[in-house]
Amino acid sequence: MQIKPIITYSGSCPLFRSLESQILNAIPLDTCEWRRTFQRPTKHVRLEAQAQQFNVAALEKYKQGDWSILEHPILHIFVTECNDVDTYKATIREAIDIWLKTLTSYGVSDWMILLVETLDMRKTKNFMPRTTVLDKIRLDFGTKNDDRCISVLNPAKFEQKSTESFRCLVQRIRFLMLTSYNRNIVKYEELIRSKREKRNIEGWDFRQYFFMQEDLALIFEKLELPTEALIQYDELDAMFSQFITHTGLNEKQQWLNHFRKPLDAFHGICLTRADKFEMRNKIRDEGVSLLEFRNYLFERQAYLLLTCNDIPEIAKRLLNFLFSTLREVELIKLECQEGALCCWEFVCALEVLQLCEQAMEPNELTCFQHCAPIWNLAKDKLYELGKLCGLLPGCTPTSEQLHIVVQLSSGIGDAPSEQHQFLQATPQLRDRSPNRKPKKSGAEQLKEALGSNQAFQKLYLELAELAISTYKHVTRLRSARLVGLDLGNFYCALNEPHKAVGFFTDLLRELKAENWHMLSSQTLLELANCYRKMGDSLAYTKTCSSISCCAELETLVRTFYFDEFLKSLKTLKTTLSAQPSIENANYCVLEDHFRILDIEVVNQKPIIQDDYILVQLKVESLYPRGVVAENVKLCYELEASSLELAMENVSLTASPSTVKAKDTSSRLKVSLQLVYKQDNRLHSAAVACDLPKSKQPVRRTSSTKRKLSPSVQADFTNFVQAENIALQPGVNLIEMKAKATRVGCWQFKQLCISMSSLEFLSEQLPFMPATFEISTKPASATLEFKTLIAGIVQPISLNVSGGSFIFPPDAKITLRCSKNLRIRQARNTDDEAAYNDDQSFESTLQVPLVQFKSFEERRIPLEVLTDMPGRKVSKHHEHHIALNCPWSRTELPIAVDFQPAMEATCRLHTCGTQKFLQVIMKGMEAHLLLQHAQVKCDVPGVQLLDLNPESQQPIEIYKSLTVTYLYEIQVEPLKTEHELPVVKVHFVIKYASLSQPDVWRTYGCAFDLVDYTTLFKLQAQLEPNELCRLRTVCNMNLKITKVHENPYTDLMYEVLNDQNLWAVCGRSAGVVSMKDVDSHSISLDVMPLSTGFLPMPSIRLSKYTAGGKSKTDGHSKVHPFPPGQVYNSTKSMQIHVIASVAGDQ
Amino acid sequence: MAFCIAVIGKDNAPLYLTTSDMEQELELQYHVNAALDVVEEKCLIGKGAPESKELYLGLLYSTENHKIYGFVTNTRVKFIVVIDSSNVALRENEVRAIFRNLHLLYTDAICNPFYIPGESLTSKKFDRAVQKLMSGTA
Repeated sequence: MQIKPIITYSGSCPLFRSLESQILNAIPLDTCEWRRTFQRPTKHVRLEAQAQQFNVAALEKYKQGDWSILEHPILHIFVTECNDVDTYKATIREAIDIWLKTLTSYGVSDWMILLVETLDMRKTKNFMPRTTVLDKIRLDFGTKNDDRCISVLNPAKFEQKSTESFRCLVQRIRFLMLTSYNRNIVKYEELIRSKREKRNIEGWDFRQYFFMQEDLALIFEKLELPTEALIQYDELDAMFSQFITHTGLNEKQQWLNHFRKPLDAFHGICLTRADKFEMRNKIRDEGVSLLEFRNYLFERQAYLLLTCNDIPEIAKRLLNFLFSTLREVELIKLECQEGALCCWEFVCALEVLQLCEQAMEPNELTCFQHCAPIWNLAKDKLYELGKLCGLLPGCTPTSEQLHIVVQLSSGIGDAPSEQHQFLQATPQLRDRSPNRKPKKSGAEQLKEALGSNQAFQKLYLELAELAISTYKHVTRLRSARLVGLDLGNFYCALNEPHKAVGFFTDLLRELKAENWHMLSSQTLLELANCYRKMGDSLAYTKTCSSISCCAELETLVRTFYFDEFLKSLKTLKTTLSAQPSIENANYCVLEDHFRILDIEVVNQKPIIQDDYILVQLKVESLYPRGVVAENVKLCYELEASSLELAMENVSLTASPSTVKAKDTSSRLKVSLQLVYKQDNRLHSAAVACDLPKSKQPVRRTSSTKRKLSPSVQADFTNFVQAENIALQPGVNLIEMKAKATRVGCWQFKQLCISMSSLEFLSEQLPFMPATFEISTKPASATLEFKTLIAGIVQPISLNVSGGSFIFPPDAKITLRCSKNLRIRQARNTDDEAAYNDDQSFESTLQVPLVQFKSFEERRIPLEVLTDMPGRKVSKHHEHHIALNCPWSRTELPIAVDFQPAMEATCRLHTCGTQKFLQVIMKGMEAHLLLQHAQVKCDVPGVQLLDLNPESQQPIEIYKSLTVTYLYEIQVEPLKTEHELPVVKVHFVIKYASLSQPDVWRTYGCAFDLVDYTTLFKLQAQLEPNELCRLRTVCNMNLKITKVHENPYTDLMYEVLNDQNLWAVCGRSAGVVSMKDVDSHSISLDVMPLSTGFLPMPSIRLSKYTAGGKSKTDGHSKVHPFPPGQVYNSTKSMQIHVIASVAGDQ
Repeated sequence: MAFCIAVIGKDNAPLYLTTSDMEQELELQYHVNAALDVVEEKCLIGKGAPESKELYLGLLYSTENHKIYGFVTNTRVKFIVVIDSSNVALRENEVRAIFRNLHLLYTDAICNPFYIPGESLTSKKFDRAVQKLMSGTA
C-alpha cells in the first residue's frame, strides 16, 4: 500500500495532466523545512504526492467528520492557461470563484491557483500590458494569500528557460503541503480524541478507531517522524490492553468477539515481511485472532524502532509483549492447542534475537543486556515443548505426541516471503559475511527441532550456551549460573553427568559465598546425583556428607544421605588405593560439617618438656546422627616472634615498622633466607616456605570441583590428638593430648578430623586461640635452712627436684663441707645416744637417691655442726658446702653463713695497785646453759683469784642477756712489767643447748693483758670542801703522784668538763714534768653551774711529747694513757653544791 | 498482594526472606537471587554519575508469572519484592508504598540494640508486620 498525499486539480485539467508527471517527480527530489506547531522542533522532510481530479465526495466526508487523513486531499490546485485579461474577466474568474467558494463551504483553506504562461504571446504583442492576468488573480482572490497565486512558464514548450520558474513552483507546492499537514494533523487529532471519549458508548468499535489512529501513525511515518508514529501505536496498544483487562466490567464491547477466534494459527512475528500491510488488510476485511493482531502491532512498533536505529528497545519490549499477550489470551479465555503459545513465544524470541545479532556499536552492549533473558526464554519454551512432545532425553515420542508435533507444525505456519532488499535498505545493520549461509527463521528452526530428538537436543544445548555466554557478557553472573543449573539438569537427563558437574559446582560456589543456604542445599542434591551417576565415590561421599549437615533440608533427606555417606565411606579406602593421584584429594572443608566452639589448654601448671599437653576441644557436629571419627588432630606451630626478632636484626632496606607489621597469625610457616657474598656481605634476603617438600602446602584452586576443598594445609608435625571419638549431634567435648617434645611458644593452627580415609580440614580457626609454652624443667638440688648458729647442731634440708632428668639406679649426691664444718644425716631423736654423739658428723656426706624418678621431688633432712670462733673475727662465720650432682659435672657451691652462739669480752679494772679482770658473756641467737667458767694463766708468778660465788645450777642465757664474771690478778712484786709485758689468760666455759642439755661443749677465749701496772695516781680536791655555792669560783687542787717508775717524764693534764655542770675559769689544760719529783700539785679554778650533788670534773692524763726538738717533727703529740696505768682515786666523788645567797655576794 | 519479600544484606546474603506460597519458595528464591544482578547493574550505573537520591529501583525484570521490583537503602541493603504479573490493578506507586513501609519496618527492626548488623532478621514483630504488608492489609 502506497501512502502518498493527495493533491486535487481543477480548471484546465488536460493542461495539468500534461504537467503532472513532472510535478510529482520533482517533489521528492529535495527536502523541505517543516516548521511545526506547538514549539516542536523544525524538521526537514521529503515529500511524495499523488494527484486526483477535484471531487466533492471527499470533502463531504470531511464535513461529516468521517474522514481519514490518508484519503483526505491536502492541497487543491486550480490550473489555468488564460493569458488574456478579457478572457479572464469573462469566464475564468467566475470558474475560480465557484471553485473557491466550494472549498470554503467545506472548511478547506488549502488551495493554490496556478497560471501557466506562454512567452510566444508576449512576443507577438509589441506593447507591455498595464496589468497581467496574475495580477488580476491576486487582486481578486489573493488579497491575504499572495503566496497561493503563482505563475509558471510551461516547461513542455520552453525547457531551458522555465527551469527556475518550475523549481519555484515545486518549492511552493511542498511548502503549502506541509502547511496543510499542520492544520490537518491538529484537526485529525481532535477527531481521534473525540472518538476515544466515546469509547464507552454502545456501538463503539475499536477496529474503526484503530484504523483512524493508525492512519495518523502512517502519516507520521511518511513524514519521517517515526517517534510520533510509535506513540500512536503505543497508545493503541495500551487501550487494547485496558479493554481486555476490564472486559468483565461491562458487556458493551461487542467488537471483542471479533478477536475471540480460536488460535488455530500461532505463527510468531516476522520483522522482514515483503508486504508490511498484509495483516492490516486482513484485519479490515476478514478479522484476525488476538495473537495475530498483537503480532501486527509489535511488528509495526519494531519497524518504527528499527527506523530510529533503536534495536535494543525492540529487545527490551519483547518480553513485556509476550507476557502481556499471554495474560490477555488467558483473560478472554481463548481456546488453543497445548504448546501453541510456547511455539509462538519461541518463534517471536528467535525473530528478535536474529535482528539483534546484526546490531552495531554503540547499541551492542545494551542489546546484549536485553537479549540474554530472551535467549533464556527461548530455551525454556523449547524445553516445555520437548516435554510435551516426548523429545526430552530418555523419552521416545508416542503416536499421540507425534500427532501433537504435526498439529504444532501446521499451526506455526510457513515463513512469509522475505524482503531481501530490506537489509540493503537499512545500512545501520551489520552486513553478513558472504561465506555465512543465511540463518533459518525461528519457525523453521522450531519445526526442525520438533522433528527429532537429536535436533531438539542440539538446538536446546545451543540456546542454553548462548544464554549463558550472553549473561556472562553483560556480567549477570547469577542469571548465567541459573541457566547453568538448567543445563546441568539437561546433561544429567542425557546421562552425561560429567558435563553437569561443572555447572552445579559453579552455582554452589557462588551460593555458598553469599550464604544462600537453601539454594546451596538444593544444588548439593543435584551434585550428589551427578557424582553417583559418574561413579566418583570420593566426590559422592563428600557431597553426601555436606547434604547431611544442611539444616535447611528435611530430616528424612538428611538421614538418607547420611546413610549413603556412611555406606560409601567404607568403600572409600578401596577406591582411594586404586587412585593414588594427588589431584583426587580426600579433603573436605571442616566448617561445612562441624563448628569449632572453643579450644582450651587445660594444663594447670606450666607444661614441661616430655610432659603431656591436655587440650579440651569443644566442637558442634552438624550431622543428624552420631559418627565415629578415627582421629582428631589439632596442630600447633611456633609463634612468629622468633622470626620477627631475626628479621629485625637484619639490616634490610625495609623500615622496621614494615617488619613489625607482619601478621603473626600467618597461615604459612615461613622462614628467613639470607644469601651472603664471599666477603660475608649480605647479597639478598628472601622469605621462603619452610615445609618439607613431600607435602604440598598450597594447592591450585581448580575451577571445577576442587574449589570447595581447603586450599592450605598446615604443618602437622606437632599436634594433639584423640582417637576413635564418637561425635554426637550437637556440642561435643573432646579431650586431646600429646607429649610435649619441643620447647617454645606455640599456637594452634588447624583442626583435622579423619573418618576412614576422609579428612576434614578446617580453614583458619574462628578465633585466636591462647598460646601455650613448653619449657624444659632442669633437675635441681638446693639446701634449705634458716638462721644457722655456730656451736650447736643446726638442721638443714636437702631438696632434690628431679625435673626431666633420668636418674641412674645408683644416683647419689655428694656434699663436701669446708674446713671446721661437719655434716650428717638427721638422726631419729628417739636414739638419744646416737643423737648426742658428735662423732657421727663428717666433713663429707654421700646421700643416695634410691629409686629416684623423673619429675620426683624429695626432701632429705640433714644436720650441720661447726665450732664457735674463739675470737670475734666477723659478724658471720662463712662456710660453704659443695654439691656434686649426677646431672652436672661441676660442683655447685652453696654458701652457708653461721652466727656465733655467744661472745665474750673482758675489761681491766684498777684500784690503786690492785688489778681486777671482768669477763662479760653476752647471749646472741641461741638459748644456752652455762656452767664452770674458769680463767687460767700459765705464766709463773701470776695468780688469779676467783671472786665469783659458787653456783650449783647452770646459768641460762638467751638473746641480749649478759653474764659477768670477776677475777683478781695478782702479780708477784718481784716481777715487774718490764719482765712480763704481756700476761696471757685463758677463759674457758662449758655450754649446752636447751635441746641437748646433756651435751656439754667447751668454749674457750684467750685474752691478752698489757699495760696492767699502775704508773700514776690522780687526786683532786675542791676547796671549800663541803659547801660550794652556785656560780662561785672554787679552787680545785690536782695532785699527780708517781706510783711506779716509768720512762714518761712529761705529762699533760686536761679537765674534761661538762658544759652544763662545770665551767673552768682560767687554764683547763697544762703540761707538767715529773722528771725529778714524785708528785706534782696543780691549782685550778672551777665554778659549778648547777645545784645538787655534782660529780667531780673528769681529768685526763696523757703522755706528752714536745715537738720542737727536730725539724721533721714540728708538732707535739699527745697519747692518752691506757686505763690500767692511771688510777683516779676521786673519780666517783660528788660535790654538794648549794644555791648562792644574794646577800653574801 | 506480594508473593515474596526479601531483605538482602550489603554482601548479598539474605537476611530475611518470606513467601506467601511455600510450594514456590525455591523458585522465588532463585528469582530473588537473579534479581541481585540487576540491582548491581543499576547501582553500578549510578556510581559514575553523581549519587542518585532515588532509592526505588523500579521493575528489575519480569517473568511470565512474576514481576520483581527492587529498592536499595543508603547502606546498600536491598529490598526485593516479587509480585504476581496478573495483578494488573497494582500501580507503581503502590509498589513504592510497599517499599516505603518495608523500609520503616526494617529501620525499626535494626534499632534493636541486641541486633547485630549482618545477622538474619529474626524479629517476630518484623515478621508479623511483613506478613501483613505482603497480604495487602498494612
